[in-house]
Amino acid sequence: MPTPLLQISQATVRFGGLTAVDALDLTLGERELVGLIGPNGAGKTTAFNLITGLYAPVSGTVSFAGRPLAGLPPHRIVAAGIARTFQNIRLFGSLSVLDHVRVAGNLHRATAPWQALLRGRAFQENEAAMTRRAEELLALFNLERFRDLPARSLPYGEQRRLEIVRALATRPRLLLLDEPAAGLNPQEKIELVALIQRVHREFDLTLLLVEHSMKVVMGVCQRIAVLDHGKKIAEGPPAAIRRDPAVIEAYLGPDQATALFHH
Amino acid sequence: MRHPFFSLLLALVLGGIVSALSDRIDPYNLDVLIGVGINVVLAVSLNLIAGHTGQFSLGHAGFMAVGAYAAAAVTIFLGPRLLGDAAAPGGLAENALFGGALLAGGLAAAATGLLVGIPSLRLRGDYLALVTLGFGEIIRVLLQNFEPLGGALGLNGIPAYTTVAWVVTAGAATIFTVGCLVRSSYGLGFLAVRDDEIAASAAGLDPARYKVVAFTVGAFFAGIAGGLFGHFKMTITPSGFDFSRSIEIVVMVILGGLGNTIGVVLAAVLLTLLPEFLRPVAEYRLVLYSLLLIGLMLARPQGLFRFRTPRPAPRA
Repeated sequence: MPTPLLQISQATVRFGGLTAVDALDLTLGERELVGLIGPNGAGKTTAFNLITGLYAPVSGTVSFAGRPLAGLPPHRIVAAGIARTFQNIRLFGSLSVLDHVRVAGNLHRATAPWQALLRGRAFQENEAAMTRRAEELLALFNLERFRDLPARSLPYGEQRRLEIVRALATRPRLLLLDEPAAGLNPQEKIELVALIQRVHREFDLTLLLVEHSMKVVMGVCQRIAVLDHGKKIAEGPPAAIRRDPAVIEAYLGPDQATALFHH
Repeated sequence: MRHPFFSLLLALVLGGIVSALSDRIDPYNLDVLIGVGINVVLAVSLNLIAGHTGQFSLGHAGFMAVGAYAAAAVTIFLGPRLLGDAAAPGGLAENALFGGALLAGGLAAAATGLLVGIPSLRLRGDYLALVTLGFGEIIRVLLQNFEPLGGALGLNGIPAYTTVAWVVTAGAATIFTVGCLVRSSYGLGFLAVRDDEIAASAAGLDPARYKVVAFTVGAFFAGIAGGLFGHFKMTITPSGFDFSRSIEIVVMVILGGLGNTIGVVLAAVLLTLLPEFLRPVAEYRLVLYSLLLIGLMLARPQGLFRFRTPRPAPRA
């Protein structure tokens, strides 16, 4: 078996007395599309923050492409190839739509910062190339007409999309989406499913998404891991998760589970 | 700002013309002009730290002091040895010495900025403001008690090397550097770090690095401004770089609009000229400053000279 892209083994995150993530094991292979679900407070976002270096595990390890991520600050983890979006959208208040994508291209900038002062040919060409790449990405996601607008002035659904584009601009191998469907209307959710599938297909990357909307998770994920109280209680293909008694129990109790999963 | 080299060139030509005509200009006006230029350097450099990068610093006068003393030390202690007796006043050798002294002042201040930048990695907002305030005071007290540099009496007999041309050059170089930096893809990172550090690191940027760079570059130019100031006043004392000096620079930045270079330049000009017109009520200057700030916060919190503001959309 080849080295998995992401391997979390026995990772535990604790806040004071609360164990938010408890001995979590999760393995993602190259180009997989995996969902992470669970009731509120199950530790899904904590798991994301663990992978992206915002929290350190008290025990256990996280490694990416065979390399341990322990001790790396968040920006280094992005440089290693893990990008993310946030549950509560985090855009830059003073940057335009285009600049959001440009600034995320800095990992692949070919010139040193001080070259901005000499403004030589290499600098100008690199700046032009970075702008062009940002414009191409915006165009792929139908955001080019908002190019020069402040990002916060975009409609909500477009803000979510821009966050995904910003993450893609870092050229990740693994993209983590934290509740991408939160706050979207049914029509936007359908578009989001198509968008996630397209990103997965066209950008040749591995996706892990945390999601509340069953419609979205069941619709796109090849495999689903279920967390409850920080522990993984089930893992498998959507059809199996749908019928898993432990999952049903965790969510609603046995009686109402059918209703939940068929929405 | 579309063609930064062009603006830089224009500024230098203007400075050259004013210098060439300086014999015919009323010395009082020249002095005011130099004061304006020094304040522009200070305000624009603080704007990189506080405006673009969002690291509220109340210690800018401290960086200025380091630069002023370092530059003055070079011209006073090394100058006579390097120049000899033969150097013509205002000649090439003298200006070369001054250029070197300014650079030394800038570098000394930049090294201090690097040092102060490090606590900024752990602190933000009010806490950082307090630490930088403390830093400014530490510099002042250290200088007050350091006898080789004059102690509380300060350094006297600094040669009057500062000319309009030097000041304009420094002002143009500061605006050019800050402008080019924040307009480059690299420099967008300063704004991103100010707006949201967590999102900035998710975009692959190192917030710590950006903050330290902002402090170092900002302090460098504050040091240059200090060098110009010392060689303009010909005497410097530690108390000349106290807390109220830092506040003056902060007021310029806030008045001009945080992160708005042109606004900050205009504010620096306005706030340097204002006291000249208000000489009769000079004792009330700080009172007026405070009133101005309060009025500004109520009427135009985005700064006096900012006209385009991104409008945040309501969150769903």
